[in-house]
Amino acid sequence: MIYYIARRLAVAVPTLLVLIIVSYVLMYTAPGGPFDTERTLPPEVMANLQRKYGLDEPLVVQIWRYVVSIVTEFDFGPSFQYTDQTVNDVIRQGFPVTLTYGAWAFVVAVLAGVSLGIAAAISHNSLLDYLCVGISIGAQVLPNFVLAPLLTLVFTLWLAWLPGGGWQGGHWSYVILPVIALSTSFMASIARMTRSSMLEALNADFIRTARAKGLPMRQIVVRHALKPTMLPVISYLGPTFVGMITGSVVIDVFFATGGIGQFFVNSALNRDYPVIMGITILAGALTIAFNLAVDLLYAWLDPRIRY
Amino acid sequence: MSPLLFGRRAIRSLATPGAPDVSGGRSLWQDARGRFLRNRAAVTSLAVLVLLVLFVLFGDILAAWSNEEIDWAMLGNVAEEGGPSFANGHYFGVDELGRDLFARTVQGTGISLMVGVLGALVSMVVGTLYGAVAGYLGGAVDNVMMRIVDVLMAIPYMFVLIVFMVVFGRSILMLFVGIGLISWLDMARIARGQTLSIKNRDFVEAAVAIGVGPGKIILRHIIPNLLGVVVVYATLLVPSMIIYESFISFLGLGVQEPDTSLGALISDGAGQMQYGTLWQLLFPLFFFVTTLFAFFFVGDGLRDALDPKDR
Repeated sequence: MIYYIARRLAVAVPTLLVLIIVSYVLMYTAPGGPFDTERTLPPEVMANLQRKYGLDEPLVVQIWRYVVSIVTEFDFGPSFQYTDQTVNDVIRQGFPVTLTYGAWAFVVAVLAGVSLGIAAAISHNSLLDYLCVGISIGAQVLPNFVLAPLLTLVFTLWLAWLPGGGWQGGHWSYVILPVIALSTSFMASIARMTRSSMLEALNADFIRTARAKGLPMRQIVVRHALKPTMLPVISYLGPTFVGMITGSVVIDVFFATGGIGQFFVNSALNRDYPVIMGITILAGALTIAFNLAVDLLYAWLDPRIRY
Repeated sequence: MSPLLFGRRAIRSLATPGAPDVSGGRSLWQDARGRFLRNRAAVTSLAVLVLLVLFVLFGDILAAWSNEEIDWAMLGNVAEEGGPSFANGHYFGVDELGRDLFARTVQGTGISLMVGVLGALVSMVVGTLYGAVAGYLGGAVDNVMMRIVDVLMAIPYMFVLIVFMVVFGRSILMLFVGIGLISWLDMARIARGQTLSIKNRDFVEAAVAIGVGPGKIILRHIIPNLLGVVVVYATLLVPSMIIYESFISFLGLGVQEPDTSLGALISDGAGQMQYGTLWQLLFPLFFFVTTLFAFFFVGDGLRDALDPKDR
């Protein structure tokens, strides 16, 4: 097991490095810089600014220094746009918001998806089953950026039940719509996956044995069918996580929650390189860490996995 | 034509002696077409797709206004008078600047479809070649090539895509390139997996025996046999390409004015909905959802028809 973890980490570190290098090189080759304004600065001032931020050095040196400062001091550098803030400040400000509704969305997607899928599989070909299939097909064409305006339309403009944006320190009424908008499509995928893998499990020989010896249905599902059912669902948790990190950008922008995605898009529009890179690296690191955790969970749950 | 599946069918009919050979001499593709045509949802969706394409191609002729023209009579009272109406030629109403929404929806649908189809084509070509080469050569080459795919897959692609758009300018061309660059990864894995099972077949061995080079084997013998699975997956990729594109355009980082796409139109409409101009949101949304539905159902139909695994 330790070898397995070590080997996975040996892949994870180069992945992060590739991410850093690729995004740094992209930024480096970009036309236009952070100090380009409508009023052209004198070349001397520009040169001074560039020297101050170390932008006049060769590319390799810049990348090296960037990586070293991240590794040794966890320092992603200053923001070019928010003048008095570092990238760390920006992340510290936005990340808790994103994390709050992101975690809720994740929990909702997994719990609701799995329960819906199991319920549908148990009552196969019933009304509930068709409802589940219908929801999962419908949610395929309702990605978060389509669902978010629709939810706001219904719950904010028509019913006036919930606020259509803002955060207010995470008051529950401000969290609900982002969570629904972010989680629905993943919930539907998880429900579909759970349903089909539960149906498969229920048709397996060991379930027939359990039935034959007279176990009640509830016990069959919970004790015997649930574990094999969960395996494909668990391997889908990784993509779900990536999708939610990505989707949070839309949620942050649409609901103006002040989360990290809002900073990301603002920085992208203003060429604030350190912030873009910091957030991209953060997203990459989270993704890699989460995938590692999922793989470990999978290996622990399924003894057939050799590592 | 697929020698692989001919072979399998022959084997299957040998395995059950005395069973009548129902399929007769029909080929895989005839078989698949029959199965596809029997799938009512898929056929309906195909018809919807044809209608959408016609809408994009000939919508401009129907439109009374161009997509850039501003109807000055509407400006300032869009909410009261800008709604859908046949009398003034704005079938879908006007947007917040007084531009004809019908013409813009035609344009946006066209761009979304184009990005979707071209993105899927790029990923199909690149991914299939990459996966087939990795799978056929095997060994260390395969290992290195697939580790590269693993590394690229672990990167949150949307962030990198946005970085890409920021750096190289926000244009449709860059959107194509960026989406195409990322989307081939899954395709490469699928193609590699299929190649691994094909490369040990007799006909490949025969080709090796008579001295055909690896390049020619991949192009002539492996890839034609991958096509069924690849086509199915490419059809299912089109809607996800459309979603990627709309996602980025929704954030204002994709196609730029005066060009537009369904994502940008939805974003515009969503920004205006508190003023009661709901048509600006609902028309683009309808076209978006319809397009995605149609592609999903056609893709599902093709999978049922072509993918031997799910039969």
